[in-house]
Amino acid sequence: MESIVAIKDVTKVIKGRTIIDNISFEVNKGEVFGFLGPNGAGKTTTIRMIVGLIDITSGDIMIGGKSIKTNFEDAVRHVGAIVENPEMYKFLSGYQNLIHYARMVKGVTKEKIDETVKLVGLSDRIHDKVKTYSLGMRQRLGLAQCLLHDPSVLILDEPTNGLDPAGIREIRDYIRLLAREKNMAVIVSSHILSEMEMMCDRIGIIQNGQLIDVQLVQEFVHSSSASFEFEVIPSEKAVTLVKSNFPDIPVTSSRNGITLELTKEVVPELVKMFVEEDIQVFGIKEVSKTLEDRFLEVTADKGGKRP
Amino acid sequence: MINLIRNEWMKIFRRPGTYVMIAILLVIISVTGIFMKYNLIEEEPNVTEEWKPVLQQENEALKKQLESSSIKMEQEYYKKQIAINEYRIEHDIPFREKYNVWSFVKDNSELILLAGLFTIVISAGIVASEFNWGTIKLLLIRPINRSKILLSKYITVLLYAFLMVGILFGFSVLLGAILFGFPEQALPYLNYFNGKVTEQHIVVHLIVYYGLGSIEMIMLTTMAFMISSVFRNSSLAIGLSLFLMFTGSQFTALLSMKFDWAKYILFANTNLMQYIEGTPLLEGMTMTFSIIMLIIYFVIFQFLAFYVFKKRDVAA
Repeated sequence: MESIVAIKDVTKVIKGRTIIDNISFEVNKGEVFGFLGPNGAGKTTTIRMIVGLIDITSGDIMIGGKSIKTNFEDAVRHVGAIVENPEMYKFLSGYQNLIHYARMVKGVTKEKIDETVKLVGLSDRIHDKVKTYSLGMRQRLGLAQCLLHDPSVLILDEPTNGLDPAGIREIRDYIRLLAREKNMAVIVSSHILSEMEMMCDRIGIIQNGQLIDVQLVQEFVHSSSASFEFEVIPSEKAVTLVKSNFPDIPVTSSRNGITLELTKEVVPELVKMFVEEDIQVFGIKEVSKTLEDRFLEVTADKGGKRP
Repeated sequence: MINLIRNEWMKIFRRPGTYVMIAILLVIISVTGIFMKYNLIEEEPNVTEEWKPVLQQENEALKKQLESSSIKMEQEYYKKQIAINEYRIEHDIPFREKYNVWSFVKDNSELILLAGLFTIVISAGIVASEFNWGTIKLLLIRPINRSKILLSKYITVLLYAFLMVGILFGFSVLLGAILFGFPEQALPYLNYFNGKVTEQHIVVHLIVYYGLGSIEMIMLTTMAFMISSVFRNSSLAIGLSLFLMFTGSQFTALLSMKFDWAKYILFANTNLMQYIEGTPLLEGMTMTFSIIMLIIYFVIFQFLAFYVFKKRDVAA
């Protein structure tokens, strides 16, 4: 895996307040990196620093080996981005907007513009004024604007904000496609967890300006012991039984029986115990944790303390 | 760079407001033209009357005033008038002629103020609007440094100013030619400089006149541009610049009666015509002094605009 974006010990201080506190991570080619955190955690600030919209107080960001601080033009050449909403010139047509941005980089031909328009599926409406566009269409035009110059890094700040489920799915599939087929590195920020789970390869969690964890999505979701739901009757007896014999295992009553957090190996032991104690067992199923549960866990563990 | 300017130009001319401005300018030129045609022409003086004795009389009166005057600036003014009158008598150049296209063009130089007003509106919006629209974010993440982007915007503003004054001049010539016609023989304009009178072709004179008349507008436009870039607020830029445009010279004139330092105020120096046609606002002011002052102001405005624009964190 080849890294294309490297964030090195980046800190941002605004008026004496530390907004971003010593963040470091790398993003590789062909991967979708999710940037996750509650509102106000510093996601957008970090993204703005990556694209050079705001100054870095200390540390540095390298894109394609070039520093955004000292070699802005060469570094940002590799980047296509939507920062927050894709705000376009509303009084221009979609096509004129694209011409506008195409003129600002070298070597974007008319054919390339047409190809990009087709790619994002705006061919029918591209000559209409942007003010007549729906949010979804603006989002797609925003995407076209980032892709004009074939960037190797795509940065999307809240790309699915305000889209309907169909639009969200479209963007998601599209992002995966770009990462896989064009070997682009995609950095996506969001506070919507389910979305990140489906879209990203790796996730960085940011809270209060600190990067508290970077993990693969699968590991992230499955890293802790799983939960098992036992459908048993009578459940009260089962709970007391588990509590007395396995004091280490957390147990809660749930709608259909009891839920236990344990490793797979213990399951047969438990079943044997229940059967011996005349408890009826109707079913056992693994309940995988969602990203949401994990996110709340992680943020409560490591970043709970507010400065 | 040319592409950046084309972008800015496109953004100006794809908005209907721009055409409204041009239309207003054209309408006002037409109205003054029609007004001149039907009101003033009737009172036109008889140009064939004997004008030489009139000038001679005037000169005698002026000479008396020159002797009794003790203020240097006044003396200069009288000397100039006398010299020009003598030149007219000697070379047979009447001081009045039939109202023609060039008189109309010269009268319309007053409307540079209006062209200036529209240019200020564009200038005040060209940076601030990008912030209001939120498009600044997409504009600044291109592989082009910020100074170049700002410079392209400034050049676009200058081009727009040039276009507005050009429209004013061109349309005035066109309308003037239709309404008043060309003179049979254009009388030259008489320049007085360093005690000497020289002739200047009227068209050349008018172009110089318009050029010098545009200086105040360019300075105010630059100021509006600076405010727009520093405060990201187009209303403030428009308001302040227009306020100064309409009151600046009066204030300066008032101050100059009491204080000598008034000569360092921008508006004391924007009117370079004062050294050619009239007398300077304050004693000791020269063309060179004013030009240096204008350059200093210009550099300060540009420095502020570029410095702040380059350093700014784009957070909104």
